[in-house]
Amino acid sequence: MVTRLRPESLAELRDAVRDGPSRLLITGAGTAAGWGGTPAPHDAVLDVTGLNAVLAYQPSDLTVTVQAGLPLAALQDVLAKKGQQVALDAGRIARGATVGGLLATADGGPARHTYGTLRDCVIGVTTVLADGTVARSGGRVIKNVAGYDLAKLFHGSLGTLGVIAEVTLRLHPLAEASCTVAAACTPERSLELAHRMMRDALEPVALEWYDGRLLARFDGTASGVTRRARATGFEEADPSVWQEVADVSLGGPGDTVFRIGTLPGLWPWVAARVRARTASPPVLSSSLGAGVHTVRLGNTTASSFDRLREDIAGRGGGTVVLRRGIEVPAWGPPPASVAVMRAVKQRFDPSDRFGAGRFTPWF
Amino acid sequence: MDACVIRDFVAVLGRDNVLTEPTELRTYECDGLTGYRVVPALVALPGSAAEVAATVKVCARHGIPFVARGAGTGLSGGALPVADGVVICLQRLRRVLEVDPMNRRAVVEPGVTNREISRAAAPYGLYYAPDPSSQQVCTIGGNVAENSGGAHCLKYGFTVHHVLAADVVLADGTVTTLGGDSPQQPGYDLLGAFIGSEGTLGVVTRVVVRLLPKPATVSTVVADFATVAAAGDTVTSVIAAGIVPAAVEMLDNLTIQAVEAAVAAGYTADAAAALVIELDGPDDEVTEQFGQVLELCRRHGSTNLRVAGDPAERELIWRGRKAAFAAAGRLSPDYIVQDGVVPRGRLGEVLVRIAGMADAAGLRVANVFHAGDGNLHPLVLYNRAAGELERAERLSTAIAELCVELGGSLSGEHGIGTDKACSMPAMFTQDDLDTMQRLRAAFDPEGLCNPGKIFPTPRLCGERPGPYRPHPLEVAGVIDRW
Ligand SMILES: Cc1cc2nc3c(=O)[nH]c(=O)nc-3n(C[C@H](O)[C@H](O)[C@H](O)COP(=O)(O)OP(=O)(O)OC[C@H]3O[C@@H](n4cnc5c(N)ncnc54)[C@H](O)[C@@H]3O)c2cc1C
Repeated sequence: MVTRLRPESLAELRDAVRDGPSRLLITGAGTAAGWGGTPAPHDAVLDVTGLNAVLAYQPSDLTVTVQAGLPLAALQDVLAKKGQQVALDAGRIARGATVGGLLATADGGPARHTYGTLRDCVIGVTTVLADGTVARSGGRVIKNVAGYDLAKLFHGSLGTLGVIAEVTLRLHPLAEASCTVAAACTPERSLELAHRMMRDALEPVALEWYDGRLLARFDGTASGVTRRARATGFEEADPSVWQEVADVSLGGPGDTVFRIGTLPGLWPWVAARVRARTASPPVLSSSLGAGVHTVRLGNTTASSFDRLREDIAGRGGGTVVLRRGIEVPAWGPPPASVAVMRAVKQRFDPSDRFGAGRFTPWF
Repeated sequence: MDACVIRDFVAVLGRDNVLTEPTELRTYECDGLTGYRVVPALVALPGSAAEVAATVKVCARHGIPFVARGAGTGLSGGALPVADGVVICLQRLRRVLEVDPMNRRAVVEPGVTNREISRAAAPYGLYYAPDPSSQQVCTIGGNVAENSGGAHCLKYGFTVHHVLAADVVLADGTVTTLGGDSPQQPGYDLLGAFIGSEGTLGVVTRVVVRLLPKPATVSTVVADFATVAAAGDTVTSVIAAGIVPAAVEMLDNLTIQAVEAAVAAGYTADAAAALVIELDGPDDEVTEQFGQVLELCRRHGSTNLRVAGDPAERELIWRGRKAAFAAAGRLSPDYIVQDGVVPRGRLGEVLVRIAGMADAAGLRVANVFHAGDGNLHPLVLYNRAAGELERAERLSTAIAELCVELGGSLSGEHGIGTDKACSMPAMFTQDDLDTMQRLRAAFDPEGLCNPGKIFPTPRLCGERPGPYRPHPLEVAGVIDRW
C-alpha cells in the first residue's frame, strides 16, 4: 500500500514535503481524482484534508482566509451566517470538495456566468514547493498588485506545481431573493434568447442550456427578481435544477465526462458535433455567456472521442477530461502556450515530484 | 549603441521607426513617475505584431535589455528605460481589430486606449468595464501589464477579470497566445499570472477583452460628512447591508478644496469628507438599495446629499473625482501619489496615523481613495524648490509600508515598478520573492525583459534587501509562519 501523509499544520505540511518520499500525489477530498491524466506510480499520497481551519474571516472586508483542505461546503455554512458566500457552485462542492482542490482543478458551476471560477475570487495563496519552500503571493486585501499573482498559476495546475496550503478569497453577499426560469429550446435558439436577455440588461446571474432548456437565474431583491424573471417570458422553474446542471460534471462509473471551452457562439456547433460523434445521446450543458460546455457520454469509443476533440481543437477550443470511462489520452492537441507551461513546471518542480502523469502527454 | 546593432533594428523597422538621436530619446526617459529618468540607447517604433517580434529577436540576439512602453502614464516607473537598452513603443499598434457583439468581446492592438475600446463597443450597448482615471490616454497593453483597476472595480474587478486572451512576444522573440476564446482553458492559468507582471514577462501584441452590456440603471450620490470617520463608518454599514456598490470613493477636505478649485464639480468646500457612491444594475435593485444607501448616509450624519439628476451631472461628479490628482497641483507645487491598500475595516486607523506621520514630517497629505476596497491614494504635498523632496519621498514610502503593517498591500493598482521595489521585503520574504523569480525565469531566462523592476536589487536599494525579516503580519500575530 502507498504511504499516506496527512499533515495538520503548515509546518507539518512543509516537513512532509521536505522530508517525505520522492514522488507525491497531492489529494484533497478526492472528488476530482479522475481529472486529467492517470497519475504515474508515486511513493506517497499527500492528503491535505488535515489542514481545514478558517484562519481569518473579516465580513466587513469581504475576505476570508482558510487552510486549503477545508471543504468549501463547510466554509459556505460559516459565511452564510453573515449573509455572505464564496461565489462558486461547482457540482463537486456537495460531495465535499476542498477549497484547494477547487482552485487546483479550475472547476466551476453555472454561477461562472457572473463570477467566473476561483481564479476570479482568489486574492492570496500560500504554497509549499517541492524543495520545501513556503511561498506566499497576493495578500489579504481585495485590491493588490504587488508582485506576481502566483495563485493564478495554481489554477488548473492539478497538483503538479506545489501544494496549495492556504487560500484567501474575496466574498460576495448572498442575494435576498432568487428566481429561476426556463424555456424549452434548441441550442441554436438558446443563443438568440441568451443574447437578448443580456442585451436587455436583465443580468441573469447564471445562464445555461441544459437538457433541452435554457435556464436563467436572477438574484437580487424580491421585487426585482420577479420583474426580471417575468420580462424573459419564460416559465418559472424549480431551482433544484441548478444542482443537476452542476452535476453533469460528475458522471458515474463507465461515463466519460469532459469540459470544453470555445467562443460562446460555437455552442450549437459543439452540440451538433458531440451528438454526431457519439452513439448514445449525450448529457450536455453550456454556460452561454462564457462558452464553457460540459459533456457526459455514457457510451463512446476512443476513436470517436479523439476525433471529436480534434474537431474542437480545430475551432480553437480546449478540452479537459474530468472522467474517463474509456482509454483515451487525457489531453488532445496542446495549446500554443504549452512550452511556457513546461518551463514553469521545470522551474517549480524540476524533479517532477508532484502529480507525475497528470499532464501526460503534454509534459 | 554599436552601429551594426542599430543597422539590425533599421533592417527590421526601417530608418524612420528607429530613434537614436539624444533629443528624440529624451521623450522616453521617464513615465508618470518623473523623479526617475534614464535615457535609453534606442527607441523602436514597430507598426505590427510581427515587427515587435522581430525587434525583440534582435534584442535577444545581441543580449540587449528592452522595455515595452504604452502611453507612459504609469505611476511606478514600470516603463523606465534601461541604460544602453531599447524601448519598444507600442503607440503605432492602435487598431481596434474586431468588435464581436454576439460573443461580447473586442480584439485590439496593445496601443489602443482604454477609452477607445468602450467607444468602439458603445454602438452595441456594450462597454469595457475597467476604468482607470487615465483612461483617455493609457493603453490596454499598459493596463494588462499593470492589472489596472478603476473606480468601478469593487463590483466589476480588475483588468485580469476582463481579458480573455493575449498574444505575447516572449523574451527570445517567439510568439505565444495566453488564454483563449473562453475562460475555460486547460492547464496553468498563465494569462492570469501574466496580467499584472509589469512588462517583465513579455510584450503584449494583441488583446481579447470581454465586453459587458451597459447596466439598466445607474444612480450616483455625493454625500458630505463632518468627519472622515463618519464617512468610513457609512461605507462599512453599506457593505454590511449586503450592498456592493459599483463605486465608493472618498475625498478628504484638502482634496475637495483642490477639486472644487479645479473643476467646480459641486462638492461642498468645507466638508471634512465626501463620499461618491454609485450603484448600477437592474432598476428595482438599484432603486431599493440606493434608498438604503441614502438612509445610511443620513444616519451617519450626512446633511448634504446631492443625487445626480441626469447623466451630465453624474459626469461632472466623476470629472471632479478623476481630476483629483491633477488638482493637487493647486495645493502645492509638487506632490507624490501614493497607492497603498489597507483592509477596509482599518481605514480610520490608517488615516489617523498618516496624519500623525505627515505632522511629524512637517508636510501635508491630501487623501482621495477607493473606499470600498481600502485602496488609498494619499497625495504627499511638497515643494521641491524648498528642498522637501527627500522628506516627501521618505513619508510616501513610510505610508506604503504602514499599509503592509496593517495587513494590506504596497500597491492597489499603480504597480511596484522601480518606485517600490525596495519596499517589497516589507511585504514578502526572500522565499516569496525567489518563488516569483521562478516564474520570471520560466518566461525570460536571460532576464532581458524589463529588468530591474518589481524585485529589489542591491543596485537600486543598497544593502536594504537583506536577510529574512519576519513578515509584519507575523509580528502583529495575524499570521503564523509555522
Ligand atoms: C492621472 C493618472 C491617473 C491614473 N489613474 C489610474 C487608475 O485609476 N487606476 C489605475 O490602475 N492606474 C491609474 N493610473 C496609472 C496608469 O495610467 C496605468 O498603470 C496604465 O495602465 C498605464 O498604461 P500606459 O499605457 O500608460 O503604460 P506605460 O506607463 O507606458 O507602461 C506601464 C507598464 O506597462 C508595460 N507595458 C506597456 N505596454 C506593454 C505591452 N504592450 N506589453 C507588455 N508590457 C507593456 C511597461 O513596460 C510598464 O511596465 C493613472 C495614471 C495617471 C497619470
